[in-house]
Amino acid sequence: MKTYDIYHTSCYLDADMQKKPYIAFHGITKTFPGVKALDDISFDISAGEVHAIVGENGAGKSTLINVVAGNYHPDSGHLEINGDQVRIRNYAEALDMGISVVYQERSLVPNLSVAENIFADRQPRTLLGFINKKKMCEETEKICESIKLEVQPNTLVGSLIPAKQQMVEIAKALSNESELLILDEPTATITEKETEVLFRVIKELKRRGICVIYISHRLLEILEIADRVTVLKDGKYVGTHNISDVKIGDIVKMMVGRDLYTEKYKPSYEKDIVLKVKGLSSKRFFNINFFLKKGEILGFAGLAGSGRTEVARGIIGADSINNGEIYLFNKLVDIKNPEVAIGYGIGYLPEDRKEQGLFLNMAVSNNIVSGSLQIVSKRHIIKEKEITIIANKLKERLNIVCPNVMTRVEQLSGGNQQKVVFAKWLLVDPKILIVDEPTRGVDVGTKSEIYKIIRELSSSGTSIIIISSDLPEILSICDRIYVMHNKRITGELTRNEATEEKIMHYASGIN
Amino acid sequence: MGKFFILNNLQVKSTVKKLLQNRVLFLLLLIFIIFLFAGIAYDTFVTENNIKTVISNMSIDAIVTIGMMILLISGVFDLSVGSVLGFSAAINAVLIERAGFNPVLSIIIAVVSCICIGIFNGVVIAKIGVNHLIVGLAMLGVVRGVVMLIVGAGITRLPDSFLVIADSSFLKWKLPIWYLVIIAAIFSILLRKTVFFRRYYYIGGNEKAAALSGINVVTMRVISYAISAGLAGISGIFLSSRLAAAIPTLGSGLELRAITACILGGASLNGGYGNVLGAVLGTLFMGLINNLMIVSRASISWQRIVISGILLLAVTLDAVIKKSGVD
Repeated sequence: MKTYDIYHTSCYLDADMQKKPYIAFHGITKTFPGVKALDDISFDISAGEVHAIVGENGAGKSTLINVVAGNYHPDSGHLEINGDQVRIRNYAEALDMGISVVYQERSLVPNLSVAENIFADRQPRTLLGFINKKKMCEETEKICESIKLEVQPNTLVGSLIPAKQQMVEIAKALSNESELLILDEPTATITEKETEVLFRVIKELKRRGICVIYISHRLLEILEIADRVTVLKDGKYVGTHNISDVKIGDIVKMMVGRDLYTEKYKPSYEKDIVLKVKGLSSKRFFNINFFLKKGEILGFAGLAGSGRTEVARGIIGADSINNGEIYLFNKLVDIKNPEVAIGYGIGYLPEDRKEQGLFLNMAVSNNIVSGSLQIVSKRHIIKEKEITIIANKLKERLNIVCPNVMTRVEQLSGGNQQKVVFAKWLLVDPKILIVDEPTRGVDVGTKSEIYKIIRELSSSGTSIIIISSDLPEILSICDRIYVMHNKRITGELTRNEATEEKIMHYASGIN
Repeated sequence: MGKFFILNNLQVKSTVKKLLQNRVLFLLLLIFIIFLFAGIAYDTFVTENNIKTVISNMSIDAIVTIGMMILLISGVFDLSVGSVLGFSAAINAVLIERAGFNPVLSIIIAVVSCICIGIFNGVVIAKIGVNHLIVGLAMLGVVRGVVMLIVGAGITRLPDSFLVIADSSFLKWKLPIWYLVIIAAIFSILLRKTVFFRRYYYIGGNEKAAALSGINVVTMRVISYAISAGLAGISGIFLSSRLAAAIPTLGSGLELRAITACILGGASLNGGYGNVLGAVLGTLFMGLINNLMIVSRASISWQRIVISGILLLAVTLDAVIKKSGVD
C-alpha cells in the first residue's frame, strides 16, 4: 500500500505541469517458467517527458521494454496509448504506432552508410522500384539536422565514433516518426563527452513533445536528464517520483530495499596472502590491484559489464593481458592459459554454465571428472569404475538430483547442473577458486546449498573469489568486497563497512 | 483398439530410436540386410573371393576413417585426407623410382611429410582460427595439385621389394587387412582408455568448457590433425603398393567416404561422439555398397549419386535423432 501512496503523492505534486499521459501501463504481468518477471505494473508516462526506469539486474526493466515493443505479450493487464487500449503483437506493429526502441546491442551495419542504416529496409524508391539514393540522402540530412548530428549521409557507420553511432541509432528510430523513444542503456558504451551530446539531443526531442523512456544503471545521469523516475524491483512496481523530489540515496534504497539474508557469519580466513594482483590491465579492464588471503571469501560486486568477468578471465589466462603482475604465494607467475592456471591451483567456474561450464551431452560422471582425469587414471589409463565411484560420492555429497551418474547433464535442472559444475571443481580442489555468478538462475533452495559448499570450501582453506550481481548474496557470504565500475575497481569494503547502498554508490561510479 | 495401436506405435518408435542410437548394432543389421538381399539378387556377391576383395579394399579406407573419426569426435573434420593420401603415394614413388631411395627410407619420408601437412592444417585451424572446412577445402586442391605436379600421368614401375607390403598374405588374408586390425586395435584402446584421447570427447562436447577445464585445446587439435594426416599417409603407401602405382587421382573422393562412414558409425558433426568400431563398420558398409554397385554394373554417375546420397541421408538422420533425443 505504501508504494501506492508514493505514486499518488508524486502525481499530486506534478499536477500543475501534468499533461495527458501518452502511454499508460495497467496491471502488466508477465510470467516466465519459474519467474514472475513483471508483477502487476501500473504507471504512466506523459508526452514530452523523459521518464527513467531503474532497478537492479533482473528487476524487470528489459521485460517491460519488450512488452512495449511487442516482443512479449503480457499474461494480464494492458497498455493504453493516448487513452486507447492497444494490443501490440510484434515490433512491426509497435513501429507503426510510433514506438521505437534503441537497444543496448547496436543494430547498425558498420560497412553501410549512415543513410542506408537509417533507412534500412524502408529506403525511398524511384518509380521503377530502385532505391532513390538522392532522396534517401536528403531525408537523412533532415533527420540528422533535427537532432544536431553532424555527419555526411554517405559516411560509413563503422568509421564513426561510438557516440555518433549511438546518435545514428537514434536517428534511425526517429526516422520512423516515433512518438515514444525507448533508450536502453544508451551511455553504456560511450564516453562522458559523448554523453553530453546525447543529452542535448534528448532535450531537443523533449522540446518537440516526444516521449522518452530512459533506462540506465547510472543514477547520476538520470538525475541530470530525467523528469520522473520509476523504480522496479524483482518485477514489482516500487514507485514513481519527480526527479526534483529525490536524492540518489532514495533511489538506491528503493532499488535494493529488501530483506537481507540472515545467516550467521563466521570469518574463516587467515593472514597469508595467496594471490596478489598489481596493476593488471588489458583492453577490457584497467589498473586492477587487489589481494586475496588464504581461506578468504572475496566478493567482486558491480554491474554486468563492469569488467569483473574479464578480470577473472585475464587472471586464469583465458584472455590476454597487456600489463601488470600476478603474485601467487609471493612468487611472480606467468599464466598463459587455463591449463597453466589449474597447474598453479586456480580454478574458474564460469558464469554461463551451459556455454562454458558443462559438457551438456555427456554423462554427469564424465562432467564431474572433466577437470581431473589424472585422479581417475593410472599411468594415463582411465579407470571407468573409479569415475563412477567418485561421481557417485560427489552426487551424494552435493545432493545432485538425477536418476544416476550416467544421466546426460542436459536432462538436469539448472540448479542441479550448477551443482555438477561445483562437483567438478571440488574434485579438482584448487587453492583459489573463482566463481562467476554462482547462483544465477537457480532456485532458493539450491542457492543456500551452494552457499554451504562455498563456506565449506573456505573453511578448509580454499580462497574464493565470488563475482556476483546479486547484492544480498555478496553481503551475506563475503569477507571483503571490491566494487568495479567501468572496467576499474572503484571501491573496497570490509564486511562490516559494506551495505547495499555503499556498493551501489561505487558500482554507479559516483565517487 | 485405437489405444492399443497408439501404444504399439510408441513402442516401435522407441525401439527404432534405441537401435538408431546404438550405431554398432544398427550398422551390423544394415550389413546383414545387404548380404541377404544382394546374395539373393546376384550370385557373384556372396562368394569368398568377392568378400575378400571388399574387405581388403575397405581396409585401406578404414585406416583413413579412423583418423577422421578422431577429428569428428573433437568436432572438426579434414577434407584434405584424400589428397594427402595421394601425396604420400606420390612422394614415396618418386623417391623410389626416380631417386633410387631405399623403400623403408622413402616410406618414412613420405609419412613424415604427410604429418607435417597435418600439423600445418592444425596450426592454421586451431592456432590462427581459420574455419576448418575452408582450410580442408583449400588444402584438398593445393595438395592434389602438388600430387599432379609430382607424378604427372603416374608412376608405375615400383620395385617388388615395395609391392610386398600390400601383396603378401598372412593366415590367408592380405596384409592390409592385418594393418587395419592392428591400427584399429591400437586406436580403439587409446580412445577408450587413455586420458590423452579422452580429452577429444571433452573438446567435441564443449570446446570452451574443455579449455576452462585445463585442456590445451590448440595443441590437442594440432596433434589430431597430425594423426589424421599421418594415417592418410600410411594408407597412401599401402594403396600405391597394392595398385603397384602412384596415379594422380589416388584417394580422390575419399574424404567424403570417410566422413560418411564416421557419421554412419555414430559420429556427430557437432562432436563428442564416436568410436573406432563404428568407423570400421561404417567403412565396411560403404565398401559393400560400392561393391554392390560394381557387381550390379551401375554406372560411375550412379555410384556418385548413391555415395553422396548416403552422406546426406546419414547427416539428416543424425540431425533428426538429435532433435527428437532432447525431450
